[in-house]
Amino acid sequence: MNMKRIYCDISATTPLDPRIGEFLTYLNKHTYGNPSSIHREGQAAKAVVEKSRRQIANSIHAHPDEIIFTSSGSESNNMVLKGVLHSGDHFITSSYEHPAILKVLPYLESQNIETSLIKPDQNGIIQPVEIEKNIQENTRLISVMWVNNELGTINPIPEIASIAKEKSIFFHSDAVQALGKIEINTDEVPVDFLSMSAHKLYGPKGVGALYKRGGTKLEPLIHGGGQESNLRASTENVGGIGGFGMAAELSTSNLEENTEHILSLETYFLNLLNKLNISYTINGIKRISGVFNITFHGVVGQDLVLQLDFAGIGISFGSACASGTVKASEMLVGMGLTKENALSTVRISFGKIHQLEDVKKVVESIDAILKRNTQEVANYA
Amino acid sequence: MPDKVLVAMSGGVDSSVALLKIVEMGYDAIGVTMKLWEYRDVGGNILDDSNCCSVGAINNAKLVCDRLNVPHYTLDFTEVFQKSVVDNFADEYLAGRTPNPCVRCNSLVKWDAFVQQADKLGAAYIATGHYAKVQHLKGSSVLKKGKDTLKDQAYVLWGIPAHTLSRTLFPLGDLTKEEVRNIAREHKFETAEIPESMEICFVADNNYKRFLKDYVPEKMAEISAGEIVDESGKVVGEHSGYTDYTIGQRKGLGLSTPEPRYVSNIDPTNNQIRIGKKGSLSKNNCEVSGVNWLVENISFPCDVQTQIRYNSPVIDAKISQSENQFSVQFLHPQIAVTPGQSIVFYKDDIVLGGGIIEKNIE
Repeated sequence: MNMKRIYCDISATTPLDPRIGEFLTYLNKHTYGNPSSIHREGQAAKAVVEKSRRQIANSIHAHPDEIIFTSSGSESNNMVLKGVLHSGDHFITSSYEHPAILKVLPYLESQNIETSLIKPDQNGIIQPVEIEKNIQENTRLISVMWVNNELGTINPIPEIASIAKEKSIFFHSDAVQALGKIEINTDEVPVDFLSMSAHKLYGPKGVGALYKRGGTKLEPLIHGGGQESNLRASTENVGGIGGFGMAAELSTSNLEENTEHILSLETYFLNLLNKLNISYTINGIKRISGVFNITFHGVVGQDLVLQLDFAGIGISFGSACASGTVKASEMLVGMGLTKENALSTVRISFGKIHQLEDVKKVVESIDAILKRNTQEVANYA
Repeated sequence: MPDKVLVAMSGGVDSSVALLKIVEMGYDAIGVTMKLWEYRDVGGNILDDSNCCSVGAINNAKLVCDRLNVPHYTLDFTEVFQKSVVDNFADEYLAGRTPNPCVRCNSLVKWDAFVQQADKLGAAYIATGHYAKVQHLKGSSVLKKGKDTLKDQAYVLWGIPAHTLSRTLFPLGDLTKEEVRNIAREHKFETAEIPESMEICFVADNNYKRFLKDYVPEKMAEISAGEIVDESGKVVGEHSGYTDYTIGQRKGLGLSTPEPRYVSNIDPTNNQIRIGKKGSLSKNNCEVSGVNWLVENISFPCDVQTQIRYNSPVIDAKISQSENQFSVQFLHPQIAVTPGQSIVFYKDDIVLGGGIIEKNIE
């Protein structure tokens, strides 16, 4: 199959920005030293890591010392939960976090740490008042994702972080879906920890970072050498880290321009759907641009994903899952969707790589599939 | 444009070679793995990648598809599979019967689901790695036994909806298992050395008693030890719970008799297991339910050949029909005619249809 593909699953992962791709090739060939070594090879590698640390710090208005490199957003999340909470503590988080938070909860429970789960409202937003209501005397940490991965909804993180600060509770936000898409300013928002990942912003896979506000105490997850100020042992992924720095810089310095472009795609997408009289509902409000959790009435989401793949278009059914199981999203049902509508829901995410003609092809393909499916139903009836 | 064919990929060696054959025949193949169950629902995780529906098996299927440049999808059928197959499997044991879940899966889940999916993706045919054949004739298609008599799987296919036969391809029908494995080795398929799966897919540790305890713990807690009686009704021992036994079972009865004794009847109502000598297992007749015909225009009574278990000898029999009830009379008495098992009807190597053994006619 030599068909040109249109990849619309930007929320799952992004292709490498070609400039970053070139940079990685260069780094992998020339910068092979160990950043901890004394010689020039080591020095060159160290320079790559420290430059990247500054680029990432700048992109969120942080100090370079506040950035710890990890292998992924998942590792960053684990590091905060396991490194901050102790036996007898209480933890508040939302019910629609990434599995890298939710699947840590049974472990926390085994360590005698109690958790309160806050559900999103019918618009897919975590309300600060709900967080406040659940605070207890022993609440040590609150963690709420900045942007939800399935919906693209933006949570009121400044308000939630302020509540936590007021009560002297640590606050962490999984910002993996937010970095490079909306402004993150650690000067203004009193977060203690932020999880970030390179591959969501056109950088390489297998590299993440944790922002840790200066002076905040944290236990490491991986013990060993003294890298990352004794917080994350192991020889640095120099190439990946270099690529991450470039990705952070590119995405934040072009944030306005990219957002404007993606907004024009979004408007065009919705106009075309309306023009073709396609029946749809977008779930969630206050979304980042280009990400649609969208219910197409009358088609099973799994079928739509497959048939679009056939037509050369990659979208997803819910979030990516290793085992391939397809279940109605509990989150959507919790937000008030019927099970049937939840199963008719897909996620389409556009990014800076797309052009108007891509959007047009996507909508036309959806239209053709919907018509074919309706025809089939009619034939059976 | 060549016809599209949806190929069912379990992640084992047979379906890998089935895919290869479909590609070699010039069709436009699409690989599909049906996810039917999850360890967290059925227990028994022994981290064995050869089991279908594990992540390892799905990954194997993906690798083989990728090698042949064929798209691969995993489709979720866990809900319908649980309802139609797994729940029934437990219910049947609780009713003192011996179920055949593979037959139920083919009959009630796989074929319908695959044909529907084929329609959605514009595929003309579906294909699987079963050792069986379909002969497509003018206006009709017939199901036949495969070339490998030891591996023949036509027995488990009697229940597939007749209208799906014309859409079905069995690319391994003219091959033996050994030939299939050699083809997989020649092509260096990741699946070439995966061992044969003999157990029931969702009972991965091959321990159905463990499965029943995990899956229906409350119902199993009610099942207690009871009497073992002989043909005259005399109590000769104690059984550990009637779900632990199957008709024809000899081992594990805990009896010391000069002549071997076999389980001849399971009575859940009275919590009783009846045993008898080999001769007591012999039956001349049985009633059959849920009959499915894969050929048209059969008139009754009808002389056929039958099998009453997978891989059991083929025997001559006569099928009679009264109203909607079918009964089978064996030419020679048969040992261990087991309620819940499938009885399959053949005319030489053609599968006419089949049904579920209900009860023996005394």
